[in-house]
Amino acid sequence: MIQQSRIQLDTVQESNKRSITPNNSFIRLKDVAVAYGQEVALFDISLEISPGEFIGICGPNASGKTTLLKTILGIIKPFQGIVTLFGKDVSKGGLSHADRFRIGYVPQLLNIDRNFPASVQDVILMGRYSRIGLFRRIRKEDRQKAWEAAEKVHLEDTLKRPIGHLSGGQQQKVLIAQVLAQNPEILMMDEPTSALDFKMARSVMKLLDELNRNYGLTIFTINHNIRLLREFSQRIICINKRIAFDGSPNDPVLESVVEKVFFS
Amino acid sequence: MLEFNFEIREIEVASLDAFLRSLERPWMQRALLAAFIVGIISAIIGVFVLLRGMVFLGEAIAHSAFAGAALGILLGINPIWPILVFGIISAVSVGYVNEKKIMRDEVIIGVFFSFFMALAILFIGLMPYYSTDVTAILFGNLLLISEQNFRILLILAALVFFTIWMIKKELYFMTFNEELAQVSGVPVRVLNYLFLILVAISIDISLRAIGAILVFAMVVTPAAAAYQWTFRLNRLILLSIIFGVFSTTFGLFLSYMIDLPSGSTSVVVVTSIFAFSFLVSPKRRFGKFAIDECVFCRDAVPMAGKCEDPDCLASELPHVHDEDRLWVKKEIFETDFRDTSHINSEKELQQ
Repeated sequence: MIQQSRIQLDTVQESNKRSITPNNSFIRLKDVAVAYGQEVALFDISLEISPGEFIGICGPNASGKTTLLKTILGIIKPFQGIVTLFGKDVSKGGLSHADRFRIGYVPQLLNIDRNFPASVQDVILMGRYSRIGLFRRIRKEDRQKAWEAAEKVHLEDTLKRPIGHLSGGQQQKVLIAQVLAQNPEILMMDEPTSALDFKMARSVMKLLDELNRNYGLTIFTINHNIRLLREFSQRIICINKRIAFDGSPNDPVLESVVEKVFFS
Repeated sequence: MLEFNFEIREIEVASLDAFLRSLERPWMQRALLAAFIVGIISAIIGVFVLLRGMVFLGEAIAHSAFAGAALGILLGINPIWPILVFGIISAVSVGYVNEKKIMRDEVIIGVFFSFFMALAILFIGLMPYYSTDVTAILFGNLLLISEQNFRILLILAALVFFTIWMIKKELYFMTFNEELAQVSGVPVRVLNYLFLILVAISIDISLRAIGAILVFAMVVTPAAAAYQWTFRLNRLILLSIIFGVFSTTFGLFLSYMIDLPSGSTSVVVVTSIFAFSFLVSPKRRFGKFAIDECVFCRDAVPMAGKCEDPDCLASELPHVHDEDRLWVKKEIFETDFRDTSHINSEKELQQ
């Protein structure tokens, strides 16, 4: 089955694969394959992510980018291979409650009703709810964390404004702040800039770069815009059901891989 | 020629004194307290039903509850128990179909809605004689709530109120975005079912007071009216409670004064509040004179109320935002604000 759906990509650059010691890696995938029913979505996926990396994921539509992200998050279980998160195998079971906070997930731009009754502060505070726990009230400490998160994304002046009144770029920054309020070690983002124009998309990527540099946050972001990925990420992984490229954005091979993956 | 045979019964208006005297009677005190409780519970649950877009689900629950009531009357037992069972079954079933994405919500709700209505008619048809209890449940009457039913209402309302209070923040997150809440660690699945059961209980306990046909209006309308006024959840809940309680108690007063079913008078009152709120809605009026965001800077506007983005295309133009730092009133500019052609021509002139 895997063989049938195997796409002939002869551009896998073994030399580009990073040699990271297992002890050092946050996330480790070994020979992972994922399928939806009979259809294979991902196969032969082996990669390691270390603390502090800024990784950009690219690939055409239906290439398995979101599946990869959801597999790491434990939302989808692989039918083959091992996924290790923070040294624990999560291929069969999900993330433990404590480890869940270590990963923050930011989705694509949400379609937020402009009249939705929530201020920026309310939305950022939502990121604390799981930490606070069921049946418990919001504490002063949680409000402080939310404010700090807003400060990190430069939205401290907009805390009282209704979320629906912000521009798309600002709303995306609020969602990033919401995740930051959890105090995560990794930010996983599923095309956070897909619905934004270039200027706004660049400002979101610039913010991610800042979070990576200033706070040592590991960034794992899917993005269609190779230009932005090249500008900001330290490592690019290009996938088309399997890894077609894994290396530096300055690698001259990247151009031809992108050409092949996106246009052939 | 068309001939109308229009006739209405003579309406006798009771005196205010008679109403005040009636407040000393236990049945009136029960009715007043029940109006308060129904107003509060319906209003709170209504806020989340409205925000989560589950309006039609509530309608299906109300009709299934009516089928339960008809069964209870047929079997000669207190209708509240079959009402609760039917209401919870329909709510959980719709929730399951929604969770498993078996079919679209409106399809399963449509099927349940008509099936339970058919069941209700079937049960009524099986009755040896037409019971006035059926009319009471169909149209509702706060004045007819028995002591036993009042106790059940009180206990279940306290249970709903307490549970909603405990899971309010999680429900709020799920209402904002369910996927985000789930990834963040909120037990979305369990809370979804719990919420559906709470909706069913709220509708079921309000059935005798408001009536099966109108009960859902008391859930949706106070919340919909409150939604016209505020951007904050707590204020939304508070306003919804005020509108809900005012409608049920004033509805009860009208019901007593002109001898009409209390359910219908309550719904007429709350719908009037909704109509007024819609017409004068500060949210809508605010939006009418303003645009969503600054089309020039499209970014945060600082405290000064003036765009300070160095890349802003309109940095040379009178570019003022109002005190909320977001809205740019159209009347500030003579030209259409969204028309950026004047910027281009200015640039061309400079070149």
